[in-house]
Amino acid sequence: MINLHRRSLATAVPLFGLALWALAAPQKSEREAPQAALGKSLYEANCAYCHGKEGKGDGPPAAILNPRPRDLSRGKFKFRSTESGSIPTDRDLENTITNGLQGTSMPDWKPFLRGDSLKAVIEYVKSFSVKFKNEKPKLVPLGAPTPATPSSIAAGKRVSEKLQCGKCHGDDGKGTGAIASDLKDEWGHETKATNLTEPWSFRGGTTARDLFLRFRTGIDGTPMPSYKGTASDGDMWNLANYVLSLGRKPVWSMNEQEVKEFYSKQSDFVRTKPVDWGKYLVNAWGCVYCHSPIRSDGSIVEEMRFTGGQRWNMYPFADVVSYNLTSHKETGLGDWTNEQLRTFLTKGVRRDGSRMVPFPMPWAAYASMKDDDLNAIIAFLRTLQPVYNKIPNPAKPNIFSYLWGKFRVLILKQDVTWHVYSGNAGQTKEKSLSENAIPAHTPKEVQP
Amino acid sequence: MKRILKWAGIVVGSLLVLGFFSFLYFIPPFDFIPPEEFTRQTVGAAPSLDNITNPVERAIAERGKYIVTTLDCSGCHTPAGDEGPNWSQYLGGGSKSSFVGYQTYISRNLTPDKENGLGRRTDEEVKRVLRSGLLPEGRLAHYRDMPWAFTANLTDEDRHAVVVYLRHLKPVARRITDPMANETFADTTAAEMLYTLDYGIRQEKK
Repeated sequence: MINLHRRSLATAVPLFGLALWALAAPQKSEREAPQAALGKSLYEANCAYCHGKEGKGDGPPAAILNPRPRDLSRGKFKFRSTESGSIPTDRDLENTITNGLQGTSMPDWKPFLRGDSLKAVIEYVKSFSVKFKNEKPKLVPLGAPTPATPSSIAAGKRVSEKLQCGKCHGDDGKGTGAIASDLKDEWGHETKATNLTEPWSFRGGTTARDLFLRFRTGIDGTPMPSYKGTASDGDMWNLANYVLSLGRKPVWSMNEQEVKEFYSKQSDFVRTKPVDWGKYLVNAWGCVYCHSPIRSDGSIVEEMRFTGGQRWNMYPFADVVSYNLTSHKETGLGDWTNEQLRTFLTKGVRRDGSRMVPFPMPWAAYASMKDDDLNAIIAFLRTLQPVYNKIPNPAKPNIFSYLWGKFRVLILKQDVTWHVYSGNAGQTKEKSLSENAIPAHTPKEVQP
Repeated sequence: MKRILKWAGIVVGSLLVLGFFSFLYFIPPFDFIPPEEFTRQTVGAAPSLDNITNPVERAIAERGKYIVTTLDCSGCHTPAGDEGPNWSQYLGGGSKSSFVGYQTYISRNLTPDKENGLGRRTDEEVKRVLRSGLLPEGRLAHYRDMPWAFTANLTDEDRHAVVVYLRHLKPVARRITDPMANETFADTTAAEMLYTLDYGIRQEKK
């Protein structure tokens, strides 16, 4: 018995050794491969949806996100601790991924990505640009932070006047200066100067160090330059303290009086600047989601924003194509009066008196909108450039198919499926607009 | 005599068939209910916030209520009943939608129910979904199913108001199943499909 035991031990030890060697030997050469594969699979599962498979920042939702997802293939990053034009450090990328970017759609991945997975994703992101192979990040010296004393803040105010921050960010720090609203970034996308009174929406972070870095490194690709050479490090620390001192209280830490004032100020703003507020409402309420044609991957056709043409077949109740919201006289809202628009938005009654089903356009929900908000939305829609896109009239299935559908839904309680179609169901005049590599889809005109 | 009976049978029969058709024609409501009635239901389903004692919280929740109502979150997040949405389960979740090549999603229970709803989620988790579509379990929601690309445009303060309001809803104990593999499309030319009826009905049958 003992012998047997010994013998098995005698064979087991070399076998175990052999196994160890077999495990250890190939690792040296293939060590890189598993990490790259892990990075690729993690990137494609989590990041590619917005940043695109090739890292070009062109995933399906990209066209309607503001700001857009970063184009990773150019090696140009906004939030760095390195000189303007330099690549970011791994630490910078890790910071952006784990903490996210406030005020954008980049979430904080901290709870979901850590350790080797995080490293693998960072390496994969770096592989999109050759810059990371050929260059080394040039770190910015931080210098000694200046404490936020009243004298430092006053000095910072002088610096902000010297650097003309108010030119874009507004002299009151609200980012509502004359130029600020029509800024463009390097990719030609609309961008706006940050509202300096709302520190919780500063993308690169809210500490004095974060702000110092924004002044010192600039935000590459945007109109925000690096102030290296124009201002000293001490000036920039003072400026950081000054900008932080502009911050107002967020609504979640206000008291009763302040909340009341905040909301009444908001309603004043709606009345005095209806177009600006209307833009906010139209963007946040997602009108463009249905009132633009989509491609088969779900991305909207950017050149045809707000021109309608998205077909929703809601068998058996209606087969509708979203309307052209631009101010085109013939095919858009150009010759609708404000009253007609208000009636449609709140009662679902079209110009010709016909009724709309209460979906997918939720007019029953818009009915409880404040008058000022409705006016603001209409005021903004009036500013849209006219585009010709003729929308077909809503179609209904023929009477038998309609009744059969109703029978299925209401008596047999079957699920019916509604379909949303890609492509433009409207008719465009300009060839260039309809040539968006999407098949034009004409709905069957079935009259009831 | 026989002849009269036969004719009477035909007349009664066709009247019955016609009657059934017209009955079918005149039920669902959309064309026959005044718009004010839809509005009354949509707005009336939202809970009253008068019992919140903290005036700050009440003011913020009112703003959240305004946003949630006018954004029509309930269009997808309130289950369908026999006639229109089932308002007694306001924002209880359960409708289904899917996009070609992606998973099929069931809208979530937004009420503060501790086991099935947002009661088990932190404010940060809810805000993260509204801002970037990253669900609490670490998966991304398709932006056409849950339109997070638009709620991302809300200011942080308005998003905060939405969360404060959702915390004051009536809890609905309604379990929502996990997303499922995309089903075959009935119409292969369509990009997206939505099920109009309450997914709970099918769920209970299983």
